[in-house]
Amino acid sequence: MTFLSELVEKLARPAQDIRAEHLREWANSVPGTIPIADVQCRCRCKIAGVIQNVRIDPREGSGSIEATIDDGSGRLVVKWLGRQKLSGIGLGNGLILEGTIGEGRGKQLQVLNPDYQLIPAPEHG
Amino acid sequence: MAKTAEALKRVVLGRPMSSGELGHTLLPKSIALPVFSSDPLSSNAYATQEAMIVLSLAGAAGLAMIVPVSIAVAALLFIVVTSYRETVKAYPTGGGAYRVAHENLGMYPGLLAASALLIDYVLTVSVSITAGVEAMVSASEALGPYKIGLAFAFIAFVTLMNLRGVKESGTLFAIPTYGFVLAIYLMIVTGIVKCLGGGCPEAESARHMADLHLETAVSYVLLLRAFAAGTTALTGVEAIADGVPAFRYPQSKNAATTLLIMAALSTSMFLGISWLADGTNVVFTEHPPGQRTVVAQIAAAVFEGGPMFYVVQIMSTAILILAANTAYQDFPRLSSILAKDRYMPRQFMNRGDRLVFSNGVIILALLSGLLIYVFDANLTQLIQLYLVGVFISFTLSQTGMVVRGRRLRPPGWQRSALISGFGGTVTGIVLVVIAYSKFAKGAWIVIASIPVVMFAMRSVYVHYKDVADQLGHPARRPTDRRPGNAHFVILVNRVDSATARAVGYARSTRAADITAVTFDSANHGPWRRLAPDIPLQTLTGRKTEALLTNLREKRSNLGSDDFLTVMTPEILRSRGLFEIVRRPGLHRLKAVLVREPDVQVLDIPILRDDIDPEVDQAHEPGRNHVIVLISGVHNAMLQATEYAETLRPTDIRAVSFGLEPEETEKLGDQWLEARVPHPLEIEESPFRDLGISLERYLDRFNPDGVNKVVTIVIPEFIVRKRRHQILHGQTALIVKRRMLFESGVVVVSVPYHL
Repeated sequence: MTFLSELVEKLARPAQDIRAEHLREWANSVPGTIPIADVQCRCRCKIAGVIQNVRIDPREGSGSIEATIDDGSGRLVVKWLGRQKLSGIGLGNGLILEGTIGEGRGKQLQVLNPDYQLIPAPEHG
Repeated sequence: MAKTAEALKRVVLGRPMSSGELGHTLLPKSIALPVFSSDPLSSNAYATQEAMIVLSLAGAAGLAMIVPVSIAVAALLFIVVTSYRETVKAYPTGGGAYRVAHENLGMYPGLLAASALLIDYVLTVSVSITAGVEAMVSASEALGPYKIGLAFAFIAFVTLMNLRGVKESGTLFAIPTYGFVLAIYLMIVTGIVKCLGGGCPEAESARHMADLHLETAVSYVLLLRAFAAGTTALTGVEAIADGVPAFRYPQSKNAATTLLIMAALSTSMFLGISWLADGTNVVFTEHPPGQRTVVAQIAAAVFEGGPMFYVVQIMSTAILILAANTAYQDFPRLSSILAKDRYMPRQFMNRGDRLVFSNGVIILALLSGLLIYVFDANLTQLIQLYLVGVFISFTLSQTGMVVRGRRLRPPGWQRSALISGFGGTVTGIVLVVIAYSKFAKGAWIVIASIPVVMFAMRSVYVHYKDVADQLGHPARRPTDRRPGNAHFVILVNRVDSATARAVGYARSTRAADITAVTFDSANHGPWRRLAPDIPLQTLTGRKTEALLTNLREKRSNLGSDDFLTVMTPEILRSRGLFEIVRRPGLHRLKAVLVREPDVQVLDIPILRDDIDPEVDQAHEPGRNHVIVLISGVHNAMLQATEYAETLRPTDIRAVSFGLEPEETEKLGDQWLEARVPHPLEIEESPFRDLGISLERYLDRFNPDGVNKVVTIVIPEFIVRKRRHQILHGQTALIVKRRMLFESGVVVVSVPYHL
């Protein structure tokens, strides 16, 4: 019976978990980057992730745009101030960025106006 | 329990795939060929004999014409394929007859092509499956009584394979398709070698040649009818043109090459079979006592009944069953294109767990199953309905290409217009011949249902267009951005913790006016202890009417920016869908309220386990985060945002789930253009399940319902005619069902009456 319940457990494994694993593998394959889970505050580091959420805020000054990226180990908010449009920042796109990581709203890891580079997203993303 | 069900589903259908895996399901040519051509290739199993049935009416002299007739059919196939190669190059995003006709000839020809094709895809499944079952039954007569059951089993099998996804089913289907081609080639080559060696084997039916009953002489009409019957070899050519987006890159080029390979295979097999049928003197008539198929007779003669005979038979059966697969590729794809163009309900655009257009697959299975059931799995009757649709679409598609050539004049257009024009004329003539010769035998059913389907698609289009016009209409666009006031009516069923939360919630919005209504005067005592400042009124008479009268009276005194909200607090005993049906009265009431203009319905559910008697005394939540679920920028969404503002919440954001990546920027631009003073978030929904994505999104708020509440505002379209509701996404229902059991989440419907 334990065998059966283990099998059920394995088969019913949430699709998100499987996807997170694919994402981790993909992010690991990008040279020079570290997983988001290993990021220390105030460090300057390079990170690869897939855009999972895009936020446009028309209120703050001349506006801001935020993208939440996920690399399977954690999430990080990338924020560009003073602009409302950023081409290529679309859901599911891959992003490599380099900048100083801080903390934003709700203790969420956040990086402001980083250098970034768009890359194709993983096939399994 | 839920886990076991999920595990079982994975075993049958496979693991859910994320949208990013879509590119992964593109087909290489070697797989695309069997996936898209099992239908045209399989028709070789019966195309020759269909023509021979007609020719046999003129006796031996008629049957002798099989080779010339077959050459004519093969030539037509090449004309059509050449023409379709041009189409594929001109329409890299999929150039089915519908697209070409719709774009070049207009809406009605487009719909004509679409409905003809949809009907024909259903027939492809019914005919192929029935033919396969027939072949099995003739191999073993004991199976006779189970024909319908067998047919249903095959439909279920093909349906399941297709729900798993294109690629896997493609690999599985490659084996019988290539096996059939090889087996037939081996038969043809062996036969030709024997015949050229001087010892052409005689078929078992050759001795009947002399006693053929002469019904007519060889005439042009007879030859034309035989030719029309032989054109079954052309069915399915459409599939490749329609399926260009399923090919690997470069898509057009790969599709054009595959078309050519398919044509070469199909014509050579067809001509080979016809030539051998002539060489071995096969006789095939309409009412045969114990007559075997032409291919079976040839195989028996050529291989002298050896094991290769059985290989040919098994492969024929297998490919006939799998020919249905072509339609399974095409029907869902065409219906998704039609849904995108708003001619079919938008649900046909949704990709299921395995990135397949599951709804199309299921509808196709149901319709073809129904057809088999109605026709009692009778092949001779079913086959009469076939072909009309195919030739309507061929003719329209090629006419469309001629018009396109004349309009756009791309380099070399004269040549391709000539090819298409010629092809179109010939297929047009064949169409007339087929419709004429099959009309009374059953083709009338198809000819009669095409206009019905066309009309239905047009009505869907008119409805969607009407909705879009209203949603974008500037006169109904809310412009005043000063938030109005909230007016609450609390529907008190019993005075309990849920009611207490409703009171707290209403107070926290600084509403202009809060009242309460009840149907039970016994509630007055406890109510005075809970909220002495809020008047409670007892309604008498029929519940729904009394409530509506009360609401209408309140609504008439409302300011122009104000919103009237009915709060429905309820205590749920447990998590589980049973809770939803436990109180049918309340749900009926809510359904009526949603249809009432200018009344919003706010659900405050609370799980019995979450009740904390200490704090649930009309405690005002300190923070209220409002999420407006949106699908686009339009009037209904703007109204919902205005409503959200009247709640005086901690913050408001609009959230859109599961857009295609390329739509992200478009929505962002529209948002900025509409000048809504709130942030917009576009959140992915990798598994295309709004409920799951929303739950995951709410994780970052972690509401407790007491100090922190999340309010989900759903703009809901209310259509005038109830039957039209099916044409709209069931977003509101999905969200309400999922969020009912999330603690601290309040759901409001803001109906927009069209």
